[in-house]
Amino acid sequence: MWAAARAAALATALATGPSAALSHAAIVQAAPVQAVAVHATYDTGEPMAEAQITVFAPDNPAEPWLRGIADGEGRFVFVPDPIPGRWAIQARTAGHGAMAYVTLDAEAAEAAPLVVAAIAGGGIDPLQRWVMAAAVIWGFVGTALYFRRRRG
Amino acid sequence: MHVPDGFLPLGVTLAGYAGAAAVTALCLSRIARRPDPRADMPRVAMLTAAFFAGSLIHIPVPPTSVHLLLSGLTGVLLGWFAFPAILVGLFFQAVMFGHGGITTLGVNALVIGLPALAAGALFRLRGAGGPARDAVFGFAAGGGAVLLAAGFFAAVVIAGLPAHLDGELERRAIGVLALAMLPLAAIEGAVVASIVGVLRRVDPGLLRGV
Repeated sequence: MWAAARAAALATALATGPSAALSHAAIVQAAPVQAVAVHATYDTGEPMAEAQITVFAPDNPAEPWLRGIADGEGRFVFVPDPIPGRWAIQARTAGHGAMAYVTLDAEAAEAAPLVVAAIAGGGIDPLQRWVMAAAVIWGFVGTALYFRRRRG
Repeated sequence: MHVPDGFLPLGVTLAGYAGAAAVTALCLSRIARRPDPRADMPRVAMLTAAFFAGSLIHIPVPPTSVHLLLSGLTGVLLGWFAFPAILVGLFFQAVMFGHGGITTLGVNALVIGLPALAAGALFRLRGAGGPARDAVFGFAAGGGAVLLAAGFFAAVVIAGLPAHLDGELERRAIGVLALAMLPLAAIEGAVVASIVGVLRRVDPGLLRGV
Protein backbone atom coordinates (compact mmCIF):
# COMPACT_ATOMS: atom_id res chain seq x y z
CA MET A 1 0.00 0.00 0.00
CA TRP A 2 2.86 2.37 0.92
CA ALA A 3 4.62 1.51 -2.30
CA ALA A 4 1.52 2.39 -4.27
CA ALA A 5 1.16 5.68 -2.39
CA ARG A 6 4.82 6.64 -3.04
CA ALA A 7 4.42 5.84 -6.72
CA ALA A 8 1.29 7.99 -6.90
CA ALA A 9 3.07 10.87 -5.16
CA LEU A 10 6.05 10.61 -7.52
CA ALA A 11 3.77 10.62 -10.52
CA THR A 12 1.99 13.70 -9.23
CA ALA A 13 5.28 15.50 -8.62
CA LEU A 14 6.59 14.71 -12.09
CA ALA A 15 3.35 15.85 -13.62
CA THR A 16 3.06 19.15 -11.74
CA GLY A 17 6.71 20.05 -11.05
CA PRO A 18 7.82 21.57 -14.37
CA SER A 19 4.66 23.56 -14.89
CA ALA A 20 4.84 24.89 -11.33
CA ALA A 21 8.47 26.07 -11.88
CA LEU A 22 7.61 27.81 -15.10
CA SER A 23 4.80 29.67 -13.45
CA HIS A 24 7.07 31.38 -10.81
CA ALA A 25 6.63 35.12 -10.89
CA ALA A 26 9.35 37.62 -10.12
CA ILE A 27 8.64 40.22 -7.48
CA VAL A 28 10.95 43.21 -7.23
CA GLN A 29 10.52 45.52 -4.31
CA ALA A 30 12.18 48.92 -4.10
CA ALA A 31 12.22 51.17 -1.10
CA PRO A 32 14.34 54.14 -0.04
CA VAL A 33 16.88 53.22 2.57
CA GLN A 34 19.45 54.98 4.62
CA ALA A 35 22.85 54.75 2.97
CA VAL A 36 26.35 55.99 3.51
CA ALA A 37 28.27 57.18 0.47
CA VAL A 38 32.04 57.09 0.77
CA HIS A 39 34.20 59.12 -1.58
CA ALA A 40 37.86 58.35 -1.06
CA THR A 41 40.32 60.77 -2.59
CA TYR A 42 43.92 61.79 -2.07
CA ASP A 43 44.58 65.29 -0.82
CA THR A 44 45.42 66.24 -4.39
CA GLY A 45 41.82 65.51 -5.35
CA GLU A 46 42.71 62.33 -7.24
CA PRO A 47 40.32 59.46 -6.56
CA MET A 48 41.58 56.43 -4.67
CA ALA A 49 40.58 54.10 -7.47
CA GLU A 50 39.78 50.55 -6.41
CA ALA A 51 40.68 51.28 -2.81
CA GLN A 52 39.82 48.59 -0.31
CA ILE A 53 36.99 49.76 1.91
CA THR A 54 36.49 48.33 5.37
CA VAL A 55 33.48 49.28 7.48
CA PHE A 56 33.36 48.84 11.25
CA ALA A 57 30.00 48.93 13.06
CA PRO A 58 29.66 50.86 16.35
CA ASP A 59 28.95 47.72 18.36
CA ASN A 60 32.12 45.91 17.26
CA PRO A 61 34.95 48.19 16.17
CA ALA A 62 37.45 45.33 16.18
CA GLU A 63 35.86 43.16 13.49
CA PRO A 64 35.03 44.42 10.00
CA TRP A 65 31.28 44.67 9.43
CA LEU A 66 31.68 44.96 5.68
CA ARG A 67 34.49 44.79 3.15
CA GLY A 68 34.41 46.02 -0.40
CA ILE A 69 36.25 47.78 -3.17
CA ALA A 70 35.63 51.33 -4.33
CA ASP A 71 34.98 52.04 -7.98
CA GLY A 72 37.35 53.86 -10.30
CA GLU A 73 36.26 57.19 -8.85
CA GLY A 74 36.90 56.08 -5.29
CA ARG A 75 33.18 55.83 -4.52
CA PHE A 76 31.53 53.19 -2.38
CA VAL A 77 27.98 53.05 -1.02
CA PHE A 78 26.68 50.80 1.71
CA VAL A 79 23.49 50.47 3.71
CA PRO A 80 24.27 50.25 7.41
CA ASP A 81 22.28 48.19 9.86
CA PRO A 82 20.08 50.24 12.19
CA ILE A 83 22.78 50.42 14.84
CA PRO A 84 23.13 53.90 16.32
CA GLY A 85 26.62 55.17 17.03
CA ARG A 86 29.82 55.98 15.20
CA TRP A 87 30.55 53.92 12.13
CA ALA A 88 34.18 53.81 11.06
CA ILE A 89 35.15 53.51 7.40
CA GLN A 90 38.69 52.89 6.24
CA ALA A 91 39.83 53.37 2.66
CA ARG A 92 43.20 51.94 1.80
CA THR A 93 45.35 51.27 -1.25
CA ALA A 94 49.12 50.77 -1.54
CA GLY A 95 49.64 51.60 2.12
CA HIS A 96 47.90 54.95 1.75
CA GLY A 97 44.49 55.89 2.99
CA ALA A 98 42.55 57.23 5.90
CA MET A 99 39.75 56.57 8.33
CA ALA A 100 36.46 58.42 8.13
CA TYR A 101 33.58 58.37 10.57
CA VAL A 102 29.85 58.86 10.29
CA THR A 103 27.52 58.96 13.27
CA LEU A 104 24.00 57.57 13.10
CA ASP A 105 21.77 58.64 15.95
CA ALA A 106 18.88 56.50 17.15
CA GLU A 107 16.32 58.38 15.05
CA ALA A 108 18.40 58.23 11.91
CA ALA A 109 19.10 54.55 12.42
CA GLU A 110 15.40 53.82 12.42
CA ALA A 111 14.37 56.37 9.83
CA ALA A 112 13.16 55.16 6.51
CA PRO A 113 13.91 58.17 4.29
CA LEU A 114 17.12 58.16 2.32
CA VAL A 115 19.91 59.90 4.17
CA VAL A 116 23.24 60.01 2.44
CA ALA A 117 26.39 61.11 4.21
CA ALA A 118 29.23 61.86 1.84
CA ILE A 119 32.72 61.41 3.13
CA ALA A 120 35.67 62.74 1.23
CA GLY A 121 39.32 62.76 2.10
CA GLY A 122 41.47 65.87 2.17
CA GLY A 123 39.29 68.56 3.68
CA ILE A 124 41.80 71.39 3.22
CA ASP A 125 41.60 73.63 0.18
CA PRO A 126 44.84 74.44 -1.67
CA LEU A 127 45.05 78.05 -0.47
CA GLN A 128 44.64 76.99 3.16
CA ARG A 129 47.22 74.28 2.63
CA TRP A 130 49.84 76.66 1.31
CA VAL A 131 49.15 79.27 3.99
CA MET A 132 49.71 76.58 6.61
CA ALA A 133 52.87 75.46 4.86
CA ALA A 134 54.13 79.05 4.68
CA ALA A 135 53.53 79.47 8.41
CA VAL A 136 55.60 76.41 9.26
CA ILE A 137 58.33 77.32 6.78
CA TRP A 138 58.47 80.79 8.30
CA GLY A 139 59.06 79.14 11.65
CA PHE A 140 62.02 77.23 10.24
CA VAL A 141 63.37 80.39 8.59
CA GLY A 142 63.04 82.21 11.89
CA THR A 143 64.99 79.44 13.59
CA ALA A 144 67.70 79.71 10.96
CA LEU A 145 67.90 83.49 11.35
CA TYR A 146 68.00 83.21 15.12
CA PHE A 147 71.00 80.92 15.11
CA ARG A 148 72.67 82.91 12.36
CA ARG A 149 72.29 86.09 14.41
CA ARG A 150 73.75 84.39 17.49
CA ARG A 151 76.78 83.43 15.46
CA GLY A 152 77.18 87.00 14.23
CA MET B 1 55.55 57.03 1.46
CA HIS B 2 54.04 58.06 4.78
CA VAL B 3 52.26 55.32 6.72
CA PRO B 4 49.04 56.80 8.17
CA ASP B 5 47.55 56.22 11.59
CA GLY B 6 45.57 53.04 12.06
CA PHE B 7 47.38 51.02 9.40
CA LEU B 8 49.92 49.21 11.55
CA PRO B 9 49.60 46.99 14.61
CA LEU B 10 50.39 48.61 17.96
CA GLY B 11 53.53 46.53 18.37
CA VAL B 12 54.98 47.76 15.09
CA THR B 13 54.30 51.41 15.94
CA LEU B 14 55.92 51.02 19.37
CA ALA B 15 58.92 49.28 17.81
CA GLY B 16 59.10 52.16 15.33
CA TYR B 17 59.23 54.70 18.16
CA ALA B 18 61.91 52.69 19.95
CA GLY B 19 63.99 52.42 16.80
CA ALA B 20 63.59 56.10 15.97
CA ALA B 21 64.57 57.07 19.53
CA ALA B 22 67.70 54.92 19.31
CA VAL B 23 68.73 56.39 15.95
CA THR B 24 68.00 59.93 17.17
CA ALA B 25 70.14 59.34 20.25
CA LEU B 26 72.98 58.06 18.06
CA CYS B 27 72.70 61.08 15.76
CA LEU B 28 72.64 63.54 18.68
CA SER B 29 75.69 61.91 20.23
CA ARG B 30 77.56 62.30 16.94
CA ILE B 31 76.37 65.88 16.61
CA ALA B 32 77.51 66.66 20.17
CA ARG B 33 81.07 65.75 19.19
CA ARG B 34 81.19 68.65 16.78
CA PRO B 35 83.06 71.71 18.03
CA ASP B 36 80.07 74.06 17.55
CA PRO B 37 76.83 72.23 16.67
CA ARG B 38 74.88 75.51 16.83
CA ALA B 39 76.81 76.79 13.85
CA ASP B 40 75.01 74.28 11.65
CA MET B 41 71.53 75.15 12.88
CA PRO B 42 70.66 77.70 10.15
CA ARG B 43 71.39 75.12 7.48
CA VAL B 44 69.51 72.41 9.37
CA ALA B 45 66.47 74.67 9.82
CA MET B 46 66.37 75.61 6.14
CA LEU B 47 66.74 72.01 4.94
CA THR B 48 64.02 70.94 7.38
CA ALA B 49 61.76 73.55 5.80
CA ALA B 50 62.59 72.22 2.33
CA PHE B 51 61.90 68.65 3.42
CA PHE B 52 58.61 69.70 5.03
CA ALA B 53 57.42 71.56 1.94
CA GLY B 54 58.63 68.88 -0.46
CA SER B 55 55.72 66.61 0.34
CA LEU B 56 53.35 69.27 -0.99
CA ILE B 57 54.90 69.20 -4.46
CA HIS B 58 53.18 66.45 -6.42
CA ILE B 59 54.49 64.98 -9.64
CA PRO B 60 51.97 63.14 -11.82
CA VAL B 61 53.19 59.66 -12.75
CA PRO B 62 50.17 57.99 -14.41
CA PRO B 63 48.15 56.21 -13.17
CA THR B 64 49.09 57.81 -9.87
CA SER B 65 51.12 60.73 -8.59
CA VAL B 66 54.03 60.99 -6.24
CA HIS B 67 55.41 63.79 -4.12
CA LEU B 68 58.97 64.91 -3.57
CA LEU B 69 60.72 63.22 -0.67
CA LEU B 70 64.08 65.09 -0.52
CA SER B 71 65.51 62.62 1.97
CA GLY B 72 68.61 62.15 -0.18
CA LEU B 73 69.23 65.89 -0.37
CA THR B 74 68.72 66.18 3.39
CA GLY B 75 71.17 63.37 4.04
CA VAL B 76 73.83 64.72 1.68
CA LEU B 77 73.74 68.25 3.09
CA LEU B 78 73.04 67.52 6.76
CA GLY B 79 74.81 64.25 7.57
CA TRP B 80 73.97 63.22 11.12
CA PHE B 81 71.56 66.14 11.45
CA ALA B 82 69.38 64.58 8.76
CA PHE B 83 67.51 62.13 10.95
CA PRO B 84 66.42 64.63 13.64
CA ALA B 85 65.55 67.13 10.90
CA ILE B 86 63.38 64.57 9.12
CA LEU B 87 61.73 63.61 12.40
CA VAL B 88 60.73 67.24 12.96
CA GLY B 89 59.59 67.64 9.36
CA LEU B 90 57.48 64.47 9.53
CA PHE B 91 55.85 65.66 12.74
CA PHE B 92 54.73 68.89 11.10
CA GLN B 93 53.61 67.06 7.94
CA ALA B 94 51.45 64.75 10.05
CA VAL B 95 49.98 67.49 12.24
CA MET B 96 49.34 70.05 9.51
CA PHE B 97 48.39 67.96 6.50
CA GLY B 98 47.73 64.44 7.72
CA HIS B 99 50.70 63.08 5.75
CA GLY B 100 51.60 60.07 7.84
CA GLY B 101 50.41 59.90 11.41
CA ILE B 102 51.38 60.54 14.99
CA THR B 103 51.29 56.88 16.03
CA THR B 104 53.36 55.99 12.97
CA LEU B 105 55.83 58.86 13.37
CA GLY B 106 58.60 56.54 14.56
CA VAL B 107 58.06 54.08 11.72
CA ASN B 108 57.97 56.86 9.14
CA ALA B 109 61.11 58.43 10.60
CA LEU B 110 62.92 55.11 10.12
CA VAL B 111 61.47 54.54 6.64
CA ILE B 112 62.57 57.96 5.38
CA GLY B 113 65.35 58.91 7.80
CA LEU B 114 67.55 55.83 7.52
CA PRO B 115 67.85 56.19 3.71
CA ALA B 116 68.81 59.83 4.32
CA LEU B 117 71.66 58.75 6.60
CA ALA B 118 72.68 56.15 4.01
CA ALA B 119 72.63 58.81 1.28
CA GLY B 120 74.88 61.04 3.37
CA ALA B 121 77.30 58.18 4.00
CA LEU B 122 77.33 57.27 0.29
CA PHE B 123 78.05 60.83 -0.75
CA ARG B 124 80.96 61.09 1.67
CA LEU B 125 82.50 58.03 0.02
CA ARG B 126 83.18 60.08 -3.12
CA GLY B 127 86.40 61.43 -1.61
CA ALA B 128 88.18 64.24 -3.39
CA GLY B 129 87.02 64.11 -6.95
CA GLY B 130 86.00 66.40 -9.73
CA PRO B 131 82.58 67.80 -10.58
CA ALA B 132 81.61 64.69 -12.51
CA ARG B 133 82.34 62.46 -9.53
CA ASP B 134 80.32 64.74 -7.27
CA ALA B 135 77.43 64.65 -9.72
CA VAL B 136 77.48 60.85 -9.98
CA PHE B 137 77.56 60.37 -6.22
CA GLY B 138 74.93 63.06 -5.76
CA PHE B 139 72.64 61.35 -8.26
CA ALA B 140 73.18 57.96 -6.65
CA ALA B 141 72.54 59.37 -3.17
CA GLY B 142 69.38 61.25 -4.17
CA GLY B 143 67.88 58.45 -6.25
CA GLY B 144 69.07 55.68 -3.97
CA ALA B 145 67.43 57.27 -0.93
CA VAL B 146 64.07 57.28 -2.73
CA LEU B 147 64.34 53.65 -3.77
CA LEU B 148 65.52 52.55 -0.33
CA ALA B 149 62.66 54.41 1.35
CA ALA B 150 60.20 52.83 -1.09
CA GLY B 151 61.57 49.39 -0.22
CA PHE B 152 61.28 50.04 3.52
CA PHE B 153 57.76 51.42 3.07
CA ALA B 154 56.62 48.40 1.07
CA ALA B 155 58.16 45.99 3.57
CA VAL B 156 56.49 47.69 6.56
CA VAL B 157 53.09 47.94 4.88
CA ILE B 158 53.10 44.34 3.69
CA ALA B 159 54.36 43.05 7.05
CA GLY B 160 51.61 44.91 8.86
CA LEU B 161 48.85 43.95 6.44
CA PRO B 162 45.66 43.13 8.40
CA ALA B 163 44.13 39.73 7.78
CA HIS B 164 40.81 41.21 6.67
CA LEU B 165 42.33 42.95 3.66
CA ASP B 166 42.83 41.43 0.23
CA GLY B 167 46.58 40.90 0.33
CA GLU B 168 46.94 40.25 -3.38
CA LEU B 169 45.13 43.46 -4.31
CA GLU B 170 47.20 45.49 -1.86
CA ARG B 171 50.47 43.99 -3.08
CA ARG B 172 49.50 44.79 -6.65
CA ALA B 173 48.76 48.41 -5.68
CA ILE B 174 52.11 48.64 -3.89
CA GLY B 175 53.78 47.30 -7.03
CA VAL B 176 52.23 50.10 -9.09
CA LEU B 177 53.41 52.63 -6.50
CA ALA B 178 56.92 51.15 -6.56
CA LEU B 179 57.07 51.60 -10.33
CA ALA B 180 56.01 55.22 -9.89
CA MET B 181 58.98 55.68 -7.58
CA LEU B 182 61.45 55.08 -10.43
CA PRO B 183 60.82 58.45 -12.15
CA LEU B 184 60.83 60.13 -8.74
CA ALA B 185 64.19 58.56 -7.96
CA ALA B 186 65.57 59.90 -11.24
CA ILE B 187 64.15 63.37 -10.51
CA GLU B 188 65.52 63.49 -6.97
CA GLY B 189 68.86 62.15 -8.15
CA ALA B 190 69.03 64.93 -10.72
CA VAL B 191 68.00 67.51 -8.10
CA VAL B 192 70.76 66.43 -5.72
CA ALA B 193 73.35 66.26 -8.51
CA SER B 194 72.39 69.78 -9.66
CA ILE B 195 72.46 71.27 -6.17
CA VAL B 196 75.80 69.61 -5.47
CA GLY B 197 77.13 71.10 -8.70
CA VAL B 198 75.96 74.59 -7.75
CA LEU B 199 77.29 74.34 -4.19
CA ARG B 200 80.63 73.12 -5.47
CA ARG B 201 80.99 76.41 -7.33
CA VAL B 202 79.50 78.87 -4.85
CA ASP B 203 80.18 77.33 -1.41
CA PRO B 204 82.18 74.08 -1.43
CA GLY B 205 82.32 74.15 2.36
CA LEU B 206 78.71 73.05 2.49
CA LEU B 207 79.68 69.74 0.85
CA ARG B 208 82.33 68.80 3.37
CA GLY B 209 79.75 67.11 5.49
CA VAL B 210 78.46 67.79 8.97
